[in-house]
Amino acid sequence: MFSSINNRISQIHLTSNVKQTIVAMLGVTFGISMYIFMTGFMTGVNDIQADLAFSALAHVRIYNDGPADNSNIAKKVFPNDLINVRNAKVIKYTDGIKNSTSILNTLSKQKDITGFTSQVNINVFFKNAGNKLNGLVSGIDVVSEDKVFGSAKHMLQGNWNELKYKSDGIFVGVELARILGLKMNDNVNILTSEGISRNYKVIGIFRTDVYNVDKTKAYIAINAARQLLGVNQDYVTDIQIDMVDYNNTQPLIDNIKAIIPYKVESWQMGNQQLVAGSSLRDTIAKAVSLTILLVAGFGIYNIMNMTINQKIREIAILKAMGFSGGDVTKIFLTQAIIIGILGGIVGIILGNIISHLVNRVKFEVAGMHHLPMTYYPHNYVFAFMFGLITTFVAGYLPAHKASKIDPVSILRG
Amino acid sequence: MNDIILKVDNIVKHFYEPEKFQVLKGISFEVKEGEFLALVGKSGCGKSTLMYVLSTMDTDYEGTLTIKDTVLTNQSQNQLAAFRNENIGFVFQFHYLLPEFSALENVMIPALKLKKYAKAEIEERAYKNLEMLGLKDQALKKVTKLSGGQQQRVAIARALINDPAIIMGDEPTGNLDTVNTQIVFDIFRELAKERKQTIIAVTHDDDFANNCDRIIEMKDGQIV
Repeated sequence: MFSSINNRISQIHLTSNVKQTIVAMLGVTFGISMYIFMTGFMTGVNDIQADLAFSALAHVRIYNDGPADNSNIAKKVFPNDLINVRNAKVIKYTDGIKNSTSILNTLSKQKDITGFTSQVNINVFFKNAGNKLNGLVSGIDVVSEDKVFGSAKHMLQGNWNELKYKSDGIFVGVELARILGLKMNDNVNILTSEGISRNYKVIGIFRTDVYNVDKTKAYIAINAARQLLGVNQDYVTDIQIDMVDYNNTQPLIDNIKAIIPYKVESWQMGNQQLVAGSSLRDTIAKAVSLTILLVAGFGIYNIMNMTINQKIREIAILKAMGFSGGDVTKIFLTQAIIIGILGGIVGIILGNIISHLVNRVKFEVAGMHHLPMTYYPHNYVFAFMFGLITTFVAGYLPAHKASKIDPVSILRG
Repeated sequence: MNDIILKVDNIVKHFYEPEKFQVLKGISFEVKEGEFLALVGKSGCGKSTLMYVLSTMDTDYEGTLTIKDTVLTNQSQNQLAAFRNENIGFVFQFHYLLPEFSALENVMIPALKLKKYAKAEIEERAYKNLEMLGLKDQALKKVTKLSGGQQQRVAIARALINDPAIIMGDEPTGNLDTVNTQIVFDIFRELAKERKQTIIAVTHDDDFANNCDRIIEMKDGQIV
């Protein structure tokens, strides 16, 4: 019923005072564009953070966490008695994951997994000439490691796939190479905690932009790592799993926890600070932009209130002529909703423009070039919906007030 | 059907601000169809208050109000609004037109609300009413561009658009000069005579009142 008399009156009200209508509209526009910009920016920051974090971190990790503390066995049998065991020790019977093939078979049957890779990680000393540095040598499956972590793109020098064919080859982090004075084709000596020492040839240098990784990490082929430790072909220390949605790791963990006799840990469990950081940023972004929308809502509320006070006699006369309270509410609510829709559309466009502008600001830290930004459609939809709801509420309160106007008291003067 | 169009029975009304005060003290009368009635009395005698009770806009009273054989007392605001739309036309001391609309649109609004006729027909009827009141040339002008007398006549045209059984006026000529007062009076006279529409007008103007069919004079909340 767009042609009804109520709509016609709303339309005349909106168009007869264009300035006021535009001011009310700009309130919504500003709120929505700020919301879009803020959430786009914050999710951009979160995505970058996740990208950086997940270049060295898998979504789910399976590893041997060491045995439970059973050093005081007597206490379990006589829990209420005072028992003292002198010099008790936790004895580790197993090291690493011995039967990795059956676990990998289990994993390949799971849904929501995009990839997994096995690693043999060894804490070592890197030595070159007189320089010594402790760090981590990661024995990797070249193909699946790249699939899970995208490691190949971090290579500064050398070819990622070369590691497959050279069992004496090693890739070192760029900072590690700098400190030890290593260049391509130099030899580096590795010393394990067992006292085994072996020489490798640097066939690649990589940079992940995470300083601690670049300073302490090196890659060798997984079989070379097994050789270094003297273990069999089934031995791994870690199985790293990538998932479709890294925020939704719990179902998989619940699924496989019972059948896998090792520690299954999601990235959230191991990195509470990342989870906290990203959800705090989300909260701040939401709080700020909702506040802006709320302020915009108050703007609309004020302007609608003003309009209604200006038009109080007209409202009274409309009621005298037989317009019901519902008609009056409709007339003013329609105005608020039109303001909300127009302001929302302009706000979405403006928010997109602001996002693009901020996205162009140079920001050259940790491998970034520009300020991060996302353009997720659901943020735009939510901003628009929330803008509409705000204007609806902000418009409904004055409109309802208008509908309650008693024509007698106004018309008698 | 009888020819009694409006009937009030023992209307009592109190004001509660600033203190309780009985403004209407049991008023009863009947109005016939086509009657031209003037409500007169000194300021504060309750004649305007009575008018607003008759208009159905004021519902805070005791007693019974019947218009066109319909008891309106205790009906809901929305029912009363719909009843007013169809059966009662108003002319006030100030024109109370909607300033953003043209004269024609102002006249059309109550009919567009009633939706008894299609829009084209409503427009035609509105033109006819404006023509009768000598305003055909001003139809498309904004009402703020019209003179006071013209505005008041637009307000009358608007009151007539739905062919209401009763036209009520709260000092309809109170703001007009002698010439325009005479014009408005003649229009009312004609409506009562030709169209059998009932006119009830509150007035201070003795000349106006003396030319009506009947005068109801009030004093201290009672009919004298």
